[in-house]
Amino acid sequence: MKSKIFFVSAKEKRRNILYCILGVIVAVVFLFPIYWLISMSFKTDAESFGKVVTYYPHIFTVRPWQQNLEDADFLHSVRNSFAVAFLSMFLSMFFGVTAAYGMGRYKVPGHKGFLLTFLVTQMLPASLMLTPMYLIFSKMGLLNTYLGPALAISSGSIPFIVVTLRPYFKSVPVSLDDAARIDGCNVIQSCVRIMLPAIKTGIITVLVISFLNGWNDLAYSMTFNVQADMRPLTANIYRFQNKWGTKWNCIMAYGTILVLPVITLFIFLQKYIVGGLTAGAVKE
Amino acid sequence: MKLTMEQKKIREGLCFILPGFLYMLIILGYPLVYNVILSFKNVNVRTFASGTDVFVGLQNYQELFANATFQLVLKNTFVFTFCCLIFQFSIGFLFALLFSKKFTLAGPIRGMILVGYMMPMSVTALLGKNMFDKSSGVINDLLMKIGLVSAPVDWLLQPGTAMAAVIAMNCWVGIPFNMLLLTSGLTGISTEVLESAEVDGANAWQRFWKITVPLMKPAILAVLMLGFIYTFKAFDLMYIMTSGGPLNSTDVLGTYAYNLSFTQYEFSKGSATAMILFAILFVIGLFYLRLIAKEDE
Repeated sequence: MKSKIFFVSAKEKRRNILYCILGVIVAVVFLFPIYWLISMSFKTDAESFGKVVTYYPHIFTVRPWQQNLEDADFLHSVRNSFAVAFLSMFLSMFFGVTAAYGMGRYKVPGHKGFLLTFLVTQMLPASLMLTPMYLIFSKMGLLNTYLGPALAISSGSIPFIVVTLRPYFKSVPVSLDDAARIDGCNVIQSCVRIMLPAIKTGIITVLVISFLNGWNDLAYSMTFNVQADMRPLTANIYRFQNKWGTKWNCIMAYGTILVLPVITLFIFLQKYIVGGLTAGAVKE
Repeated sequence: MKLTMEQKKIREGLCFILPGFLYMLIILGYPLVYNVILSFKNVNVRTFASGTDVFVGLQNYQELFANATFQLVLKNTFVFTFCCLIFQFSIGFLFALLFSKKFTLAGPIRGMILVGYMMPMSVTALLGKNMFDKSSGVINDLLMKIGLVSAPVDWLLQPGTAMAAVIAMNCWVGIPFNMLLLTSGLTGISTEVLESAEVDGANAWQRFWKITVPLMKPAILAVLMLGFIYTFKAFDLMYIMTSGGPLNSTDVLGTYAYNLSFTQYEFSKGSATAMILFAILFVIGLFYLRLIAKEDE
C-alpha cells in the first residue's frame, strides 16, 4: 500500500520513521501473547510443557487441534457457543435497535428517564445478576437452555446498542425520512430502507459487539447451564483443563479456536468496530 | 377523538422505545429487586427447596463485614482496581499520544492491538496461567534471559506475585481500551492551539500540561470512571487464572459472591456481597452520569 502522507522535510521523514519504530515495538509486545497462544497450539506435548521454553514450534504438529476437534464434548461446546451468541445477538438487535431509533428520532415525554435507565443498566455487573437470575430461571425451567444465558447477555448488549446507535440515528437528516414518507413508505419501511443503510457503520459495530458479548460470555453460561453438554466453549474451559492436564498445547489449541471468530471478525471489520466503539464510549 | 400530529408522533416514538425498555425492566429490574430481598433473607440450598426462608434483616451484611476473608476480598478488589487503573491509564495515555501522531503505521497498529480487548477474557486468563507458569512459562524465561531474576518465580502460587500477574493480564486488556478512548479525545484538540502555543515559546512539556491535559479533562475523567466500573466488577480473569487463590489473595468481590452462591449455595450471602459490589459501583456511576449529563448540554 502506498503512503498517502506527503513529506515536506527530511526532519519530518525522520520523525515518521521514529514513530513507526516505536509503533512496531508496541505492536510486538502487545501481540506477543496472541502469537504465543497460536504457536503453542502447534507444539508437541513434550515441547509444550518441557523445561526448555521454545519461542516457535521446533517440531510442528496439528495434533493438539485434531485432539480437540475429534472430541464430541468439544463439538457440542462449539455448537452451544454459536447458539448462545446468535440468539443473544438477535434479541439484543431487535430490542436495542428499535429503542435506539425511537430515542434518536422522536421527542417523547420522559426522554431523559429512558436514557438514564439504559445508561445505568450498562454498568450492572454480571455478578450482581447471577444469583437472582439463577433462582428465577430455576423456577421457570430456563436452566440448561440457550434462552437463559441469551436473555441475560442481551440485557448487557441492549444498553450498549442504544447508547451507541442513538447519536447515529440523530445525525441522519429529518428530510431523508420525510422524503421516504412522502414516497409512500410507512414508518417501518423508512426505518429499514432509509435509516439502517444510512448508519451502516453503527449497525455493523453493534452487530459485531452483540455477537461477541454472547461468544465471550463466561459467567452467565457457566452458572445457568451446569449440564456439561449445554455449556459453550468459554464455560467448558475448566473441564478441558482437567481433561488435558498439563498438555498446554491442547489447552492453547482450544483457546485459539475460541479466539478465531473474534480475530476473523476483527480483520474484516476493524474499521467499523474501532469507529463504533469510540463513538459509543465517549460521546455518551 | 382525533390525535394531533404531535400526539401521533409521541405514540409512534413510544412504540419503538417501550419494547426495549420493558424488556430491560423485566430481565434486569425484576432480578435486581429480587436480589435486594434475597440479601435480607436466609435463602440457601435447603431453605430454597423447602420454601422455609425467612427475613433476617441485616444479618448477612453484618456477618460479611465481620468476616476476615470478606475484608481481605474487599481490600483485594480495591488494590486490583487501583493498580490496574494507574497502569492502564498512564500507559494507555502514552500510547494515545503516540498513535494520535500522523505516521504511516499509526492506524493499522492502533487497530491491531485492540484484539486483546475484544477476545474472551477466559482465553486471556488461560494465557496468563500459561505465561506465568513456573517451569514452562515464558515470563520466567524472558526475565531470566534479561537477568532480572536468577531463579524461576512461582508467580501464581504466592499471594503477592499472583496479584501482580492478574493485574498484568488485566492491563493487557485495559491499555488498548484506554488508548482507544483517549486517542479520540486527543485528535479532537485543534492543532492550531498547540501550534500557536509553540510559536509563543511553550515547550512540549508545557504544552502537554497547560493545553492538552486541561482540554482532555472530560475525556480523562470519563475514561477513569469507566475503567473503574469495568475493573471493579472483574470476575472471569480471576476465576480461570487463579480461582481466587492462593489463600484468597486474588479473590475479589465478583468471585467471592459467585462462590458463596454457587459452591457453598449460600444464595443470600452471595446476594449481599453482590449488593455491596453494586453499591460501590453505583457511587462511581453517579459521578460518571453527572459528567455525561454536563457534556450533553
